[in-house]
Amino acid sequence: MKKNKLYIAAALALLAIASCKPSLDEYTPSAGSLDFSKYVAIGNSLTAGYADGGLYLEGQKVAYPNLIAEQMKEVGGGEFHVPYFSEAQANGSGYITLTGLVNGQPVTAQVTDKLAYRSTSPKLLTKYTDPINNLGVPGMRMDMAEIPGMGSVNGNMYFERLLPDQDYLKTYFTYSTTQNHTFFSFALGNNDALGWATNGGVVKINPITNQPDPTTVLTETARFTLTLNKYITELTKGGQKGVLATIPDVTATPYFTTVTKAALLAAVNAAGGSFQDVYIRTKNGVRKANDRDYFILTLSSAGIFGKNGYGLFQAIPVDDMWVLDESEVLQVQKRIGEFNAAIKAAAASKGLAVADVHAFLNNVKDGVRINGLAVSAKFITGNAFSLDGIHLTPIGNALMANIFINAINSTYGSKIPLVDVSQYRGVKMPDTAPVAN
Amino acid sequence: MLTKINSSMKKLLFSILCASPSLLFAQGSQVNLQSPKAVGMGGAGSAYFIDEASIFYSPGALAKMDHNAISVAGNAVMYKSAFQEVGSTVVYHTKNQVTPPFSVFAAVGPKNSWWKAGIGVYTPYGGAVDWGREWIGKFSLVSLSLRAIFIQPTLSIKLTDNFSIGGGFVYNIGTVDLENSVPVFYPDGRAGLATLKGTGTGTGYNVGIHYNLDDDFALSLSYRSKVVTKLKDGDAIFEVPAAVAGNFPAGNTFSAELPLPSTFAAGIAFPISEKLKMAVDATVIDYDIYKELKFDYKENTPVLQDTRSPKNYTKAGSIKAGLEYIASDKLQLRVGGGYIATPVSRDYVYPETPDNNRYLLSGGFTVKPSPKFDITASFAYQRIVARQATNLDSHLSGTYKTNIYAPGIGVSYKW
Repeated sequence: MKKNKLYIAAALALLAIASCKPSLDEYTPSAGSLDFSKYVAIGNSLTAGYADGGLYLEGQKVAYPNLIAEQMKEVGGGEFHVPYFSEAQANGSGYITLTGLVNGQPVTAQVTDKLAYRSTSPKLLTKYTDPINNLGVPGMRMDMAEIPGMGSVNGNMYFERLLPDQDYLKTYFTYSTTQNHTFFSFALGNNDALGWATNGGVVKINPITNQPDPTTVLTETARFTLTLNKYITELTKGGQKGVLATIPDVTATPYFTTVTKAALLAAVNAAGGSFQDVYIRTKNGVRKANDRDYFILTLSSAGIFGKNGYGLFQAIPVDDMWVLDESEVLQVQKRIGEFNAAIKAAAASKGLAVADVHAFLNNVKDGVRINGLAVSAKFITGNAFSLDGIHLTPIGNALMANIFINAINSTYGSKIPLVDVSQYRGVKMPDTAPVAN
Repeated sequence: MLTKINSSMKKLLFSILCASPSLLFAQGSQVNLQSPKAVGMGGAGSAYFIDEASIFYSPGALAKMDHNAISVAGNAVMYKSAFQEVGSTVVYHTKNQVTPPFSVFAAVGPKNSWWKAGIGVYTPYGGAVDWGREWIGKFSLVSLSLRAIFIQPTLSIKLTDNFSIGGGFVYNIGTVDLENSVPVFYPDGRAGLATLKGTGTGTGYNVGIHYNLDDDFALSLSYRSKVVTKLKDGDAIFEVPAAVAGNFPAGNTFSAELPLPSTFAAGIAFPISEKLKMAVDATVIDYDIYKELKFDYKENTPVLQDTRSPKNYTKAGSIKAGLEYIASDKLQLRVGGGYIATPVSRDYVYPETPDNNRYLLSGGFTVKPSPKFDITASFAYQRIVARQATNLDSHLSGTYKTNIYAPGIGVSYKW
């Protein structure tokens, strides 16, 4: 009897052991010598969390600086304030959603409810003037950072939103360098190349003023470098550290790689044509398109190609603004190369980290697997880029955050823990049956 | 009579050998829990125990049984894994899940005869691991449940008083139930889910010889063939947003091949004293037949392609030793331990079997309330050494650590 009790006790002890989980503690976060108590993020739409062709609350929440800041909290990071739209105005500027697939082609719709406009002409957003850490302003460029009035009602509505009325002449440079930061990320400059490229390498002319639209100009390298260096000097004035992002190649984004010559012809020929060539207007005249010409994504949604023969005959070529032709691609790639060289030199001069987004997105272009998740630069199915083909999905933002964190850790010897990419989504697919017509 | 049986036995063995058995299963998953007596001694005892479980451990020993017996045993295997991504502080754990390997062995034949026949139904491979739908590797694996049920009729023949042989035909019924997340996202941000469920069959054999010098010193050699399990027309079920359902056809099926490797096992048993006996077993397992796991879908779409995961297992083996203390006719106590080398190379560690070299500790006892009836309990603990690995295919990179707990109980009845 006594023995039986012993056995029962032994059995219970064994069961107790059996409820133990294995424990792991392989990573001890540390800030190293860095001070993350006030991290600020300077940049454009990518920094702000712009996605799906708009700035809206859900996108703001997963902006890569917010994800970085969340991880920094494990190593002494302070509160990270973001100029979130309110729940009532959660759809911010409005954005596009995927409503369905028709014959395999995405159909999108503009979200028009719960917007945050306080004026529609000129377009102005509800103000947010509390102190913030995510200083990202969609549309902001290096060559605009020092121009007064960008934050006025005639300037950039996203910047205007952040400034108290009386500060309308404050430059983005002044605004973003006077936040008493202890650490910074700097990701400005994409639009200095992209603004021109997304307009097919054409500088838009304002029909009223007959002046070039400054958002479509390709910034001169000297101009770019001047402001960049001034920025880095100012941001590190108090000995602060930071991380600089390089600018991605335009051909690494689905905005330029989705609508191809083959795809255009296939669509037209599926409707009964038998066309072999697409004609494009370039700055050197009309010619047949080749595989090194990049049509922009919106040519497809504009629904003009092939209509009345548009683009199919030499007499009615695709207009210059719809295509970044071969020589324009080389031109913008060369410029981005110069910008990136300047960024790396500026970082090196102050011993700052570089998040090489350019290298990373070139790598993603052909598809990579991250924790079993396939990610590529393919439109919609690649899961990295949102519906506008330029800005990132939550998955893309999480990947971006890890590029920055890895760069910071390897440069400064800090140990900021990585973001778990698998917790984020790609493009949302409608849960309604596809339509064929 | 003798010649007749000998010839039919030969025929059986011959046909088995020629069958070039082909059936497969994923591994890291060999569960040597067929007999709680052996489990108590660290899994050693193929030469030591001469009982109905010899059908599995040492078919050659069966003819030496001086009685008939039937036994039933079951285990509750708790496989507990943890994973931490490189550079992250988050630790993921598998969900609590109990898999129940079981075994039934029966051996019958005339008393003190030169032969004994038996049948075994047991689960030599299997396991269940459920990481859940939220963990970092969900696109690699959410959950996997594997089971191989072997049915093995066996015949054993005593060639001399000390030397006997035996062999059995193995028929396997294997089931697999695998889930992983699919990277297409619902409007609420949730990922899709793929479920692959199937049943397959395969055949193999188990042969062995047993030799003993006087009562206490014994040798056993056995060879369990590979069993390649072919799964056909398994269900491939995809839960994805309706807009993309066309890429994941409803009613789709898959086929796959799972190779369960062959095992060569040698065991010795010898006395240390009147009451204390020792057994040592060693195995070599030809896991290197497991090169890849391929899922071949009946219907492919641009999005749904056949998958091919390289596994490239290497040969592996184990060494196990155990002691039995015969406290009385009515009570035996056991303890054992072992070391099991992993077949999984660092580049091919998958969350389904986050394997590494293992240490094994076990204990157990048998009580005999009557001469005809005994009850055996065992407890095995395996510690899979923590391992940092980056999978070549998924690039999932992190450290795995696994503990396995397996309490077991068995009853046997003799006549």
